[in-house]
Amino acid sequence: MISTIPVRRAPALGVGLAVLLALLGAVAFLSVTQGARDIGLAEVLRALGGLGVNEEITGTVTLELRVPRTLLGILAGAALGAAGAILQGVTRNPLADAGIMGINAGAAVFVVFAITVLGIQGVGVYVWFAFAGAIIATLLVYTIASLGREGATPVKLALAGAAVTAGLTSVTTGVLMTNIDALNELRFWQVGALAGRYMPILTGVAPFLIAGLVVALGLGRALNGLALGEDVARGLGQRVGLTRTVAFGVVAVLAGAATAACGPIVFIGLVVPHLARALCGPDYRWTLPYSMLLAPIVLLLADVLGRIAGAPGELQVGVVLGVLGAPIFVLIVRYGRMSEV
Amino acid sequence: MRALRPFLAVAALSLGLIGCGGEQNTAAPEARPSSSAWSFTDGSGKAVTAEKTPTRIIAHAGEAAALMSFGIKPVGIYADESIKTDANLKDLDLTGIEILGQEWGKIDVEKAAALRPDLIVADWWPVEKAHSGFEEGVDEKSKKLADLAPVVGVTQGKSIEDLARGYEDLAESLGAKVDSPEISANKKRFEEAVARFKAAVAAKPELTALGVSPADDKVYVANPEFAPELLDFQRWGLKVINPAKPDPAFPYWETLSWENADRYQPDLILWDGRGYKPELNTEWGAKQPTWFKIKAAKAGAVAAWPAYWLHTFGHFATELDKVTEAINAADDSVGD
Amino acid sequence: MTLSTVANAVSVTRRRRTTRVVVVTGGLTSVVAVLFVVTMMVGSFRLSAGEVIGSLLGTIDDPSLDFVVLGLRLPTAATALTVGLALGVSGTIFQHLLRNPLASPDFVGISSGAGLAAVSGIVLLKVTGLAVAGFALGGATVAALLMYVLAWRDGVSGYRFILIGIGVAAFFDGLIGFVLSRAQLYEARQAMHWLTGSVGQASGTELRLLLGGLVVLLPLAVLLQRQLRLLELGDDTARSLGVSAELARAALLGTAVIILALAVAAAGPILFVALVAGPIANRLLGPATGSVLAAALVGAALLLTADLVAVHLLPTALPTGVVTGAVGAPYLLCLLATTNRQGTGG
Repeated sequence: MISTIPVRRAPALGVGLAVLLALLGAVAFLSVTQGARDIGLAEVLRALGGLGVNEEITGTVTLELRVPRTLLGILAGAALGAAGAILQGVTRNPLADAGIMGINAGAAVFVVFAITVLGIQGVGVYVWFAFAGAIIATLLVYTIASLGREGATPVKLALAGAAVTAGLTSVTTGVLMTNIDALNELRFWQVGALAGRYMPILTGVAPFLIAGLVVALGLGRALNGLALGEDVARGLGQRVGLTRTVAFGVVAVLAGAATAACGPIVFIGLVVPHLARALCGPDYRWTLPYSMLLAPIVLLLADVLGRIAGAPGELQVGVVLGVLGAPIFVLIVRYGRMSEV
Repeated sequence: MRALRPFLAVAALSLGLIGCGGEQNTAAPEARPSSSAWSFTDGSGKAVTAEKTPTRIIAHAGEAAALMSFGIKPVGIYADESIKTDANLKDLDLTGIEILGQEWGKIDVEKAAALRPDLIVADWWPVEKAHSGFEEGVDEKSKKLADLAPVVGVTQGKSIEDLARGYEDLAESLGAKVDSPEISANKKRFEEAVARFKAAVAAKPELTALGVSPADDKVYVANPEFAPELLDFQRWGLKVINPAKPDPAFPYWETLSWENADRYQPDLILWDGRGYKPELNTEWGAKQPTWFKIKAAKAGAVAAWPAYWLHTFGHFATELDKVTEAINAADDSVGD
Repeated sequence: MTLSTVANAVSVTRRRRTTRVVVVTGGLTSVVAVLFVVTMMVGSFRLSAGEVIGSLLGTIDDPSLDFVVLGLRLPTAATALTVGLALGVSGTIFQHLLRNPLASPDFVGISSGAGLAAVSGIVLLKVTGLAVAGFALGGATVAALLMYVLAWRDGVSGYRFILIGIGVAAFFDGLIGFVLSRAQLYEARQAMHWLTGSVGQASGTELRLLLGGLVVLLPLAVLLQRQLRLLELGDDTARSLGVSAELARAALLGTAVIILALAVAAAGPILFVALVAGPIANRLLGPATGSVLAAALVGAALLLTADLVAVHLLPTALPTGVVTGAVGAPYLLCLLATTNRQGTGG
């Protein structure tokens, strides 16, 4: 399979990565300059350069509102993109995504439970609940999808994920509705929003996200092996079981931390790896970093779009991604030759 | 977020989205205007009549407090929040009164029916064109409370003085003695409080104030035009800032992004009193980087604004004195 | 074995099956009737079954009892009953027509389409009453057409079709979120009504419309049941047995879409009831029956139970859709597990 696709040379791919990095920089800059308040370019630059920060509100807005929000978007986006790529690799399934597979919903229901029932505050504590929820949902979905002779096929996995998501979302809603205060607090979080999440949340989840991303980058070779099939991978001397365990663990950390920070965001982990493969080919050593750069670009663009489309308020990034991502999901299901990936 | 909850409660009603489908039949079927013994002109302008003076009253929280101050005890009360925290109810003795609701939009009409009420008392909100508890967005079932008895209320109009006097009239029509020494004392206390307020304002003619309700995702700036107590403040000389662009669908507020929290720079912040605690100012300063960009917030010039709940002269006097105190302490050169 | 003994055996089986259908349908009707009355017995104070029935039939003349039963409890109970019937009918028609046990309108995006149109009409164009149902119908029709176009190539069987439907539903749900946020409809109760569905918020107009629709369309659906069963055998078989396949299919689809739209206008997009009603009815009736009436009754029983749980058994009253979602998902997972084990999915 892999040999039929022209192998692009490393230097070209490296250049592509640099271009994406520049693009991410541009989008991040757009995210920092766009907002409810009209701040001139010169002032943004001045603030970023560390001038007049304490005195002027433009400095505060730029550095304390927009920069943390943008950084969170970058990290969460990269995490969801990497989680999607890993899931698609390890399950050999083009429809795999932490959102679609119910992993984000699992993390969400545990976070909501931790906040409303156990009264836990502080993202540094409830992020652990998010990990637990992510792991449980993954196991549940994967077990059900694996039943039957042909194992966890793409559609089976996606459908089991949809069912788990529907059920868990109902539970989340139910828990929220019993507690009006919490409902208002979590209303925006639940649909996936970047607004109002600033420094404390960023510092709370950043260590997990960064650690997860670093480990994820090291998984490329192992995922390439798995892509050739379990037997071939084993023949190449790979420990398949170990790879799987590590991969799912990394996904749980990435998806859990991203969900704890931004709420359950769907579709981005599905769309981005496909986009990445179209750019760099099927080699996971490249797909992973490409996904990690592409996903935050998409997430930040969706966020900026939400600020423009939702003016004078804001539209949650989860809503934007739902509207943008669902048609792509439909197209992949409709036209994708799933058994071939 | 506690501060937003009552606000949300009020907020949600406003959205007259499904037209005016929620209008109540304010006249009971048995009421015949010609031979009626009791009548009262509702805030909506309709005259509500009954053959005998109502005695079994169900009232919304603040309205109940007003009636109770004249010695009229309702048989049932519905509130928008827990009766333990409701500003109007928390200090009242409610024994023997059935509590029919402690959440906005949810009234236990079945319990209400068992009380066999002959009058429902609830403020009339001219913007929403509905009485408290019957606005758009409440439970369909709650609206059926209006089928049990006629609904009357004084309009949430241009002045708390009018509102309090309106409930005095209502109480009188229901047979209460409105000239008891206690009531006169409260009125006198109120007049003295107004005098002190006017004096404080006169001493600082340049002092500006702004009604504010901060929330996690937005800052809400009050539009005095639809806040009777702020209109009273303005009438007595305090420069309460009118926001430039109140939200079209819900003109009680202008919604600001936190990025624009500094748009208005008053000398004194009047903080939505529902859920206000003095330590909140510091907490919000730590939580929202731009909160202290409102210079008055940074200077700590913050006072509780009795937002949308006052119904009696007694309560108004107490709250007014707190604002007067804040005005006396405020520096009129903080804001713009 | 002679021909006559075979004919005899066939007629015996048929008679047995007819008996079973009658018994099961009768049993379901009584279950629904009991649930309908029980729903009206519970509340802030408990009424006896006699009081409820007396008030319903007008044999007890007590204005305060009538107010509670007829004024307060009957509208919700009637909404649960009619919406349940409607979801059951429409779900089972879709499943048989598409020959796919997962192809219920709530899973292929049609409920969400109806909900999106209704909520857009209410929020953006400020329509009320009849027009809301009209919008819901328009939305359901558009969603059905969209699914038809999208499923053109691969047909409607298997999981892939369902996944497309889930994608379409997610798209519509995203747009519902967008419309709600435009309206600043941030009051949780109303937003939840349109996102998860609840039977307590229907107004009189919507309830009457749904009731009227059911009175006309439920008998029609029962009449079309034979055609539905024949269509399921394949177009050629149906045609050879004298059914105009296209006409029958259009009539069935139209009936299902209209009933569904009226239900969504009244209660929002309630998940899972339409999905599970048909299969449960089939299990009760035995193989290859597919009674529309039984599915409708199962739908009603499910929704009445869900409402009882949502409003009376839980510490805080919840939207009905929350309960159907939480209970329906495990069912769907079991269904998937079974189908997967048999290897008939995709």
